[in-house]
Amino acid sequence: MSSKTAVIAKLALRNLRRQARRSLLTAASMIAGGALLIFSLILGDGTHEQWIDSAVRMADGHLAVQSVGFQDSRALKDRIPSESRGLVEQALRQGGFPANINDMVPRLAVTGMASSAAGARPARILGVDPVVEAAFSVLDEKVRQGRYLQSGDRLAAFVGIGLLEALDLRLGSKFVLTAQDAGGEIAGQLVRVVGTFRTGIPEVDRSLLHIPLSTAGAWLGCSGDVTSIGLLLGNSEQVPQTRSSLRQRLSQHPGSEELQVLSWRESLPELDAAVKIDDFSNYLFQGILFGIIALGIVNTVLMSVMYRRREFGVLQALGLTPGQSASLVLVEGLFLTVLSGTIGIALGLSVTWFLWGEGLDLSSMMNNEWTFSGVVMEPVVVPRFRVARMVQGLSFIFLIGMLASLYPALRALRIDVAETMKFER
Amino acid sequence: MALPSWWLIGWRNLGRNPRRTFITALGLAAGYFAVIFMIGFADGLKVEMIENGTGLMTGQIQIHSPRYRPDRSLYETLGGRAGADFEAVIRTVVRDPAVVAAAPRVYGAGLLSSGQSTRGGMLMGIDLDRESGVSRLMSSLSQGRAPNPAANELLIGTEMARRLELQVGDEVILVAPAADGSMGNDIFRVCGLYRTGMAELDGAFALVPIRSLQRLLALDPGRIHEIALSTTDPWLAPEAGRRLAAGLAPLGVELHVLDWTGLRPEMLEYALLMDSWYSIVVIIVFAIALFGVANTMLMSTFERRREFSVMLALGARPHQILLTVISEATALGWISLVLGVAVTFPLIAWWHQYPIDLSWIYGDLTMLGALIRPVLRIEYNFPMSMWTGLALLLTAVTAGLYPAARAAWMPPADTLSGL
Repeated sequence: MSSKTAVIAKLALRNLRRQARRSLLTAASMIAGGALLIFSLILGDGTHEQWIDSAVRMADGHLAVQSVGFQDSRALKDRIPSESRGLVEQALRQGGFPANINDMVPRLAVTGMASSAAGARPARILGVDPVVEAAFSVLDEKVRQGRYLQSGDRLAAFVGIGLLEALDLRLGSKFVLTAQDAGGEIAGQLVRVVGTFRTGIPEVDRSLLHIPLSTAGAWLGCSGDVTSIGLLLGNSEQVPQTRSSLRQRLSQHPGSEELQVLSWRESLPELDAAVKIDDFSNYLFQGILFGIIALGIVNTVLMSVMYRRREFGVLQALGLTPGQSASLVLVEGLFLTVLSGTIGIALGLSVTWFLWGEGLDLSSMMNNEWTFSGVVMEPVVVPRFRVARMVQGLSFIFLIGMLASLYPALRALRIDVAETMKFER
Repeated sequence: MALPSWWLIGWRNLGRNPRRTFITALGLAAGYFAVIFMIGFADGLKVEMIENGTGLMTGQIQIHSPRYRPDRSLYETLGGRAGADFEAVIRTVVRDPAVVAAAPRVYGAGLLSSGQSTRGGMLMGIDLDRESGVSRLMSSLSQGRAPNPAANELLIGTEMARRLELQVGDEVILVAPAADGSMGNDIFRVCGLYRTGMAELDGAFALVPIRSLQRLLALDPGRIHEIALSTTDPWLAPEAGRRLAAGLAPLGVELHVLDWTGLRPEMLEYALLMDSWYSIVVIIVFAIALFGVANTMLMSTFERRREFSVMLALGARPHQILLTVISEATALGWISLVLGVAVTFPLIAWWHQYPIDLSWIYGDLTMLGALIRPVLRIEYNFPMSMWTGLALLLTAVTAGLYPAARAAWMPPADTLSGL
């Protein structure tokens, strides 16, 4: 049996070699396709990881621990009381801080109004721990004037440039924050601008400001409480696994029923949609492209079967079963596609690695900032090489080769031995 | 009469192996379909973005006081602090053939309080009748009814209603800094909810009849912040904007006319980048299809090497053989084009009429600040259809060149003797 398989493989290879030019031309389209496939996949992954990274740093991290109702209400009543916050932090540290969690930030978020003599604007006010927040968030790198919050700051505010301009403030200006406190009363807090940032996302620059967590707690009458605890992981692929282990750890503690662990896909549904539509259009394009490549392969393999009708007739007369002649054709097609597909993928990988391994600079095409679902597109795309994508690409190419060789193989199966040898063609 | 006969030979050769011709033509036709489909999809995304980005709220053209943007200060009304006869401005602009409608707007910011809960929000004063000609805000009403222009009634987004735990009919207290330096506050009744799908709007904007908001903000009836205009086609807006700026000069009011390409330059940039991306798609798809066609042509000429040798031996010139093979390739191109057009356009027309629902893959998303619905929206692009057809024919001819050259310069004696 195995010797027969070896013979079929040998025959298939010889047939391909005998028609070297034809094989090469067919392979060329597959090599180009494979290179393009892997290039767009790794570049797409790199782009998406960048979106996710900058979005989760702006929002509540790859994973966020919140009270059950907070995602819907966004209200202070659904906060995590200080006891539960201690519980979460303890659960995380117990038995070692999980290796793939890079940072953990407590935050107290409230929606209110910022007002100065020049007017008032709705504001998203975030009470943060200045030290850990500086490591977690990207805001401290977007400083326009002044500085980010520091430990020891009390009445300091780090304000978006749009909000600053709308309220006609400058560094050192005082302004008033108004929001509903934990007791349901309207409370005001005077703060002073210590720094401004610009992210490029208009919604954020117009409305977001950071104040120290202790100041926010005292102002809103809930010192020590937070609305969410954000976790930053090494990369987005670690999310599902870390999330289930975190859930398991939390469930061992009493009082954890009130808490839930949200992934960025749930807390940022728009970003999730943006990643999905981008992947979808990429898959659509690749699907169509490989459809065309497959038609080319069908054509060559089918023609080679038609030319060799007599040859198949003789082979079958000598004892090759129809099934074996069909598998010969199949193996030929598969050899051709898988070999050329692998070369294509290797080519795509090395070209991407050598030319754009450090990042593909698109800034010449983008003069303005592009935002997708609240994320600024970085003008430099860093490709992301993942083994899973290569396996995916190879299996896809294998599938295409299989499908494209199926019809020619079927034709070889149905060859009438007597008919093919009747006359000279 | 030499040319038609070579043409005829080329054409007949295609018929000798109909299956091979069909599969090759199918490859090229699939390429044509792929390009038109991808361009239709990208165009759909672009049109969706521009339509929603301008039509949902912004409008295609806006007119402000020159000092209003980007700070959007409460005091910078049209014509400065004294106000202006904005009705005269509106009468002038709606005379422009590209302008469909124009509506005045007033903006403020304040706190909305439902008793249990309080949130900051944007207050947008609109003229209810005229606003529906400019934006889709009023048609996004999902519950209740439109406010009574004379009463203290307002519309809020479903997202804000949920967060403030408000129902239709509930009262809400508005507190907002007013133009006279005081804090304006009043009780309003929620008479309806709207839902646009954009969380940024639905969670932040309250729509108030323009007079009621002017009262709250202590603005005279003549003071508004913005006139928003809609045009028949977004692409007519830049031209119309320039016309309007010139036409409004005689009114003697300092005005700044800005169309959406100036309000949202990144959208225009995206649209232009998309257009240049189309040619890359055409090149990639046909470059890959080229190999397939060249391969088939090579096989069919090799199959007929004896035939060509006989023709050469009988006195045909190499360039005549060349012509035969190239005309065969050209004919193949035309067959593919007809096949491609016949398959592509009915499908495109069908999908254009009934866009495929993709909500099972992804939800609403925003792109460059514009809402994108989860549907596969396909648009027609006739210029690109023409160019793609041309690219297809060019591909077929290019693919025929090498096989043609091989056929034309083969040694007839050697081939005939079976070497």
